Amino acid sequence: MAKKLRYGDYLGAVRHRQRKLSYNEVVAHTRLSPRKTRLRMLDLYRLLGPYVGVRFVEQLVAVVPLAAFLVVFEFGVLHSEVHGWESIFLGMTAVICGLMLFMEGVKRGLMPFSENIGYTMPGKFSTPKVLGVAFVLGVMATLAEPAIGALKAAGSLVSRDATPYLHLMLNDRSDFLVLAVGFGVGLAVLTGMLRFIFGWRLKSLIIATLVPALSMTLLLSVDNRLEPIIGLAWDCGAVTTGPVTVPLVLAIGIGVSAATSRGDNPLSGFGIVTLASLFPPIAVMSLGLALSWGNFPVLEAASSLAVEPAWFERAPFDDIIAALRAILPLTLFLWLVQHWWLKSPVKEGKILVYGITLAVMGMMIFNVGLDYGLTPLGGQAGGMVPAAFAQFSSVQGSPLYPYWAGIGIALAFALLLGFGATVAEPALNAMGVTVQNLTDGAFTKKRLIHAVAAGVGLGVALGVAKVIFSIPMVMLIIPAYLLTLALTVISSEEYVNLAWDSAGVTTGPVTVPLVLALGLGLGKAVGAQDGFGILAMASVGPILSVLLTGMWIRWRVKQTSAIVERMNHG
Amino acid sequence: MNEDIIVLTDVVLITVIVQRGVADTVVRAAQKAGAQGATIFYARGTGVRQRHLGVLGVAVNAEKEVVYIVASSDQADRIFERIFVAAKLDTPGMGMIYMTHLEKMATHVPHDLIARMGNHE
Repeated sequence: MAKKLRYGDYLGAVRHRQRKLSYNEVVAHTRLSPRKTRLRMLDLYRLLGPYVGVRFVEQLVAVVPLAAFLVVFEFGVLHSEVHGWESIFLGMTAVICGLMLFMEGVKRGLMPFSENIGYTMPGKFSTPKVLGVAFVLGVMATLAEPAIGALKAAGSLVSRDATPYLHLMLNDRSDFLVLAVGFGVGLAVLTGMLRFIFGWRLKSLIIATLVPALSMTLLLSVDNRLEPIIGLAWDCGAVTTGPVTVPLVLAIGIGVSAATSRGDNPLSGFGIVTLASLFPPIAVMSLGLALSWGNFPVLEAASSLAVEPAWFERAPFDDIIAALRAILPLTLFLWLVQHWWLKSPVKEGKILVYGITLAVMGMMIFNVGLDYGLTPLGGQAGGMVPAAFAQFSSVQGSPLYPYWAGIGIALAFALLLGFGATVAEPALNAMGVTVQNLTDGAFTKKRLIHAVAAGVGLGVALGVAKVIFSIPMVMLIIPAYLLTLALTVISSEEYVNLAWDSAGVTTGPVTVPLVLALGLGLGKAVGAQDGFGILAMASVGPILSVLLTGMWIRWRVKQTSAIVERMNHG
Repeated sequence: MNEDIIVLTDVVLITVIVQRGVADTVVRAAQKAGAQGATIFYARGTGVRQRHLGVLGVAVNAEKEVVYIVASSDQADRIFERIFVAAKLDTPGMGMIYMTHLEKMATHVPHDLIARMGNHE
């Protein structure tokens, strides 16, 4: 019987002859003349191929479905084409590559510092010093957050005449805005640490934070120059909890809680993220108030626009400088703490330098991609949505659908976008596993993911409705958060932890810019005052849905145990 | 049970240490070369070469997979070679392979096989 044999297998089996070499000799030789290994091109390919490949695919999976959904919607439902798709395509590629480099850079360059500091600091320093370091770290990590660039990019889509203070904060005073957000996150980290030390309950903290936040919202809504800031302020809470802040801050937080608190509380990692999404809105609203009381000359900036920008303000130099300004202070701070205060040596310096270089490069490329890929794509999709239900000059035969059907299509689009973007979020998947273990399987991973995704979807839809119908932000924020407040009061502590943190997990560096640009594009197309607020609604949504699911689970568990009891008695 | 335990001799253990995720390639190559099965476990560690790689060392995963393959001594060399080629072990950082003689091993041996071969003492 003929047996098949691959020629390659045959050659491979035949070719290799074994030659013996004593390991003793090899060791003796390397000891005599230690030298760096020479690598062939093939070796480089074999080493780097999988290394790059795995990380590239990771980001590809996060970006492509979302982008594809937007393009399909524009093409299939709105019958319009994507303008400048070549530059958008290149921009999206830049986003993927930039994120890949950036994440690897943070892992190699920043995380080792943070972990080391988190574990050794509480033993060596007094508590106030630890808190000080945590605060500064919170501020600086926020500045390094890739999504924060999206806020600045979104600023170019805001009109100055309709919303002077919003325009001022996003364009000429964007540094103030970013600093305010960072300050909020720093305070949140500080409070989170204090919570570890004193064992405060998150429930009471949330109530203590929500009350001033909501009253400030009411205060701002009275002044119609400041009213547009409310949407931006609450959106900032979602922007901050991204891939840099969360791991960096958690590494320090877990170290501190292990050193200070009694016993291992599995929930101790939670909480900081929650506070980091509540404090920034307060900080941004305070900034708005300060700007209006200080009577800042709003229109002064008009003249500066005419001036030819200096070389460092033009692309791509502005992106390079922005990236350096975001990463280097954070790195320097971490290095100083480790070197001067902790006096622990920096291990593997070369790899740290490599990581930091990657992080800076990644951020640059990501910023470019943000400008040319994510922002235009989201803006276009948002700008086209009204063609479904209103007269629109650039789309032939608009309105494409009857008014209410068109509105329905727009809201369904928003719902699907929010739901889809959330289901694919890897951080949520990881959280689902933790939750399933913590609740002994009562809250399954799948149920958590679906609850959060449904909440985000509904939130995005509500936000889009807000922009289309020009509903004042106060009317949505206040009732939504009052409802969460009420539910928080009656829910148990563990579900409160879970629900509030799930809001922060869902807003990654791809979703945030896309949704921001979408809202602004939509706002411009329908002539709304501002397009912010969608992200804010997308973060309240999951809090509500998870709290409700938690209550439903508790109710069902009680029901079943009651039935079992009745059966036992009967 | 008063049956004898069948003890196999001429047995070789091949151990392969590779980066996390490569074990499947190793097992496939080994099975193609005639190996019956394999045991994989997870480990972590870094090697001599990896230290010499410098910054390129980041491309090498410290998480490792260790593959145990027990084979007959006739097959062993061929399996050894096939794995070496398939796992690209000539590239620094990719891992290593070694082979040791086993004094004896025992497992399920089909009854009809024993009957056919007769009893070797």
